[in-house]
Amino acid sequence: MTAVRPVLEVADLSISFGGLKAVDQVSFAVERNRVTTVIGPNGAGKSTLFNLISGALAPHRGHVLLEGRDVTGAPPYRMQAAGLARSFQITSLFFELSVAENLRLAAQVLEPRVKLGLPVGSSAKARTRVQELLSQFKLDEKAGQIVGELSHGDQRRLEIAVALASKPKILLLDEPTQGMSHADTADTAALVRSLSNDVTILLIEHDIGLVMDLSDTIVVMHQGRKIAEGAPHAVRADQAVQTAYFGHA
Amino acid sequence: MRDAITLQTRAGHWLVALLVLGGLVFAVVGFATGDTFYLRLATEALIFGGLALSVDILLGYTGLLSLGQALYFGLGAYVSALALIAWQSFWAAIGASLAAALVCGLAGGLIANRVRGVYFALITFGMAQVLAKAVYNTRALGASDGLIGVPVLDINLGLFSVSSASPVGFFLFVLAVTVLFYVLAAYLLDTPFGRLLIALKANENRVLFIGYRTSTLRLGSYLVAAVIATLSGALYPMLRGFASPELLFFSTSGNAVITVILGGVGTLVGALYGSVLLTIVKSVVGSWTEHHLIVIGLIFMAVVVLLPKGLMGLVQPALVSVLGRGSRR
Repeated sequence: MTAVRPVLEVADLSISFGGLKAVDQVSFAVERNRVTTVIGPNGAGKSTLFNLISGALAPHRGHVLLEGRDVTGAPPYRMQAAGLARSFQITSLFFELSVAENLRLAAQVLEPRVKLGLPVGSSAKARTRVQELLSQFKLDEKAGQIVGELSHGDQRRLEIAVALASKPKILLLDEPTQGMSHADTADTAALVRSLSNDVTILLIEHDIGLVMDLSDTIVVMHQGRKIAEGAPHAVRADQAVQTAYFGHA
Repeated sequence: MRDAITLQTRAGHWLVALLVLGGLVFAVVGFATGDTFYLRLATEALIFGGLALSVDILLGYTGLLSLGQALYFGLGAYVSALALIAWQSFWAAIGASLAAALVCGLAGGLIANRVRGVYFALITFGMAQVLAKAVYNTRALGASDGLIGVPVLDINLGLFSVSSASPVGFFLFVLAVTVLFYVLAAYLLDTPFGRLLIALKANENRVLFIGYRTSTLRLGSYLVAAVIATLSGALYPMLRGFASPELLFFSTSGNAVITVILGGVGTLVGALYGSVLLTIVKSVVGSWTEHHLIVIGLIFMAVVVLLPKGLMGLVQPALVSVLGRGSRR
């Protein structure tokens, strides 16, 4: 089989805070147009791992490769330019602005830089992208609403839409179903599944039931280390995972 | 679908048009009655309106509270005064001020933008104090007396020229320049660059993750504000014939912030109305009592409590809804 380069490769990634090894020698690869999920108990280092990959933190050791290019420690805006976008566990939007404006701001990078200094109306590509996203995420009717006034579920979906606006190659979703109702969670799972046709997805998720159906590959973290990796059914059967999650062997 | 921010900007344009209309009526009345005092006062209100406009770009759009914008206003006043004394040319004064604004704005921006929030406010305050004290103690710049002897000048505008000594002529000229500053700022803030400044104010961290270097955006905003403040300051010695160290003091910076809050933060036009209002209040109350600062303080407190969006908060939303209805048809 000819080797298709993974979209994202993480090698030996490590960072510690004081004496705590928050992420410790983690390595894995994310294949194109697959859903890869990182799971693990609270404090396993999942969000720190995301912060290392997305440039929010610089690792003390190890490498992050995007389509084979070493981007280790690059700031978030460089990561974004290289095709990596992320969402946040704690919704991070422009709450005083409208839904459409949030998306427009994020879609602006599709335009050449000079458009930054021309009237907003002249950025046609960004505008088209906003319309696409509004219908894809069923937010058409809320386009003009102020984000702070949206329901939690809508804010969570917009959080994903904003990350997706720049047409990234890889999308990092940090607990997209955080705080959602049961019905919203199922909708979001379906949404993530449908997105994976066009974009590679790396997901952090708490809900193990959800990720079993959703993921192609699961990476399990515990106390900063990767303790298992593989297809969902294989990971579920893994002894180490059983121990980490349920405390018995 | 109409863009809410564009509509708000457009509402601002109408309010500026109203201000210009008021200015023209005022000029005609002033000319007919042969007034000098009130025309001079109104000119000064507009000049300080330009300074307030620059504060609003930082505070109302980028979310940066500068307590030292007087640094650039005073810089403009002194550079312009020196240039006018040396060359008696309006364009030389403006050119020199612009160059000074770019150099000092870049330097100041690189220093102040290393920190946020309260620290940004303190650093901008500190930088202005340093320059104020330096000027205050420099004999070559007139020290505490200020720089006097700025000549009356004819501003050559190609087709005609305006004398800085003509109350009506110079008032109209400053009105035009102030509107030009407004147009420049309003244009810039309705571009994606300007929208990113608004986004910075809302959530700086996310701006970084949608692909922009936030330090560059903040520096850009700071530089634009520095240029507008400096060029506003450059007009001051043309009006009064001198530049004094008070222009660099905290009272000048603080007044500009108060002006913006009175007029309405994040509206641009509020800065201009706020400046006119503050000047009127000062001169009216000042003619009854010398303790007019107490009255201004009370008014300021009342506005903050009762009108958190300032004067413009009273009229702009209604105007926006009218414009929104008009454009949907």
